[in-house]
Amino acid sequence: MHISRRAFIQTTVIGGAGLSAFGFDVGPAYAQARTLKIQRTTETRSTCPYCSVSCGVIIHTLGDRAKNAIPQVVHVEGDPDHPINRGTLCPKGASLEQDIVNERRLLKPQVRRPGSDRWEDISWDHAIAEIADRVKKTRDATFVEKDQRGRTVNRCEGIAFTGGCTDTNEFNYLVVKTMRSLGVVYLENQARV
Amino acid sequence: MNQVFALENFSRKAFSQASPRRGSMMLSMRDVWRQRLQRAEALAARGDSMSQLLAFYAALLRVQLRLYAHLRASHNGAPSGALEQDLPALGSELRPALLAIAQAAPDALATAGQQLGDAGQAAIEDALLSFWYAPSDRLFYPKALLQPYAQWLAEAGITPRGRELARTDNRCPFCGGVPQLSVLHVADDSPAAGGGRKLQCATCLTEWPFRRVLCAHCGEEDERKLAYFHSAAFDHLRVDACDTCQHYLKSVDLTRLGIAVPLVDEVAGAPLDIWAREHGYTKIELNLVGL
Repeated sequence: MHISRRAFIQTTVIGGAGLSAFGFDVGPAYAQARTLKIQRTTETRSTCPYCSVSCGVIIHTLGDRAKNAIPQVVHVEGDPDHPINRGTLCPKGASLEQDIVNERRLLKPQVRRPGSDRWEDISWDHAIAEIADRVKKTRDATFVEKDQRGRTVNRCEGIAFTGGCTDTNEFNYLVVKTMRSLGVVYLENQARV
Repeated sequence: MNQVFALENFSRKAFSQASPRRGSMMLSMRDVWRQRLQRAEALAARGDSMSQLLAFYAALLRVQLRLYAHLRASHNGAPSGALEQDLPALGSELRPALLAIAQAAPDALATAGQQLGDAGQAAIEDALLSFWYAPSDRLFYPKALLQPYAQWLAEAGITPRGRELARTDNRCPFCGGVPQLSVLHVADDSPAAGGGRKLQCATCLTEWPFRRVLCAHCGEEDERKLAYFHSAAFDHLRVDACDTCQHYLKSVDLTRLGIAVPLVDEVAGAPLDIWAREHGYTKIELNLVGL
């Protein structure tokens, strides 16, 4: 480089506490810094669970990452760097946070008995055993192997299945595989959209 | 203009309306400087703990706006990209600008400015050249005086010549400068979409896209090492810190406050800088008030 490089006065002042690197009085800013409630969040890349489009999301979790603290989700947004959705999300994906943090979320299986007006808690073991029992009984009773014209159809017309709107893509895949293998044809789930 | 180099706050409307004629472009860039100045004046007028810093920054922006307007108005033809050749375009404006900034500065900085001004035109130009080829956030006056020039180059699309600076993702693709801050933008076509991140160059003020969840200093990608500190007192600001290299910069989230002007609001978040420093983080690039 053919330019003269005369030493230039460094304007770095740094005058101890209360001054910025250029000598500005930052006393008031110090005072305010003392009063700040600062929260640490982490941004985690993830994939929206709902459909096979697989939009990228960024999940914001709150917490100082202390070992015994449970991180809390405070925000979910579309990942602007993701090639599939470039930051956008459908209304369902945009409501992911409410799915994760929701005091009305059911944490155990429930059953409403015929004629009853209330839901009662039921254990997983009990629920699974009862469902298996009824599926077997109903399928055996209503299975249609051949239709009226003698064509093989292997239909189970006595059972219908419907899934909730927050079922994930993978869950719905399993639902379809399971129900089709039983011969269930009255089948609805969110992976259809 | 390449969209990657789209300048701060160039609204899409202004973009599409800008005709190829110089006149309309000139107007919109000058408006960007004016917007910065107005934001600084408005924030200074709030009379809170940052008003002194902001009053100075407003005074500085006033001088920078004048320098920028001078460059656009007086120079015949486009800049060359080599600072040595373009210095005459700044010419007689440099010293008055320097002294005007010094007048508004605190004692020690004012003295340094006065000394540089007294040393004469050649010394000022030397200082600018040294900074241009080896930028440092510690060199207040050269950085402040060259921002309008560098932005003028960026706007004209004339790449700086002779600057052999590192070319990495976390450096300005136009001039090789270090990022001053990060901006989270509202997506153009969908206001509800997640904010795309850009870094703004400390030298030429160009913005360039930069991935989220990525340290702008060391390139750390492990989300567990990247912390975002936020305070309700500065809802649209946050400290993007990295526990691997212990560096940080501030983000201005335009999805939370659309009227924010990143350069100015970054300065207005001074307490966050102090908080970050006290927690062991070093800023990637000091801003023009030395925080």
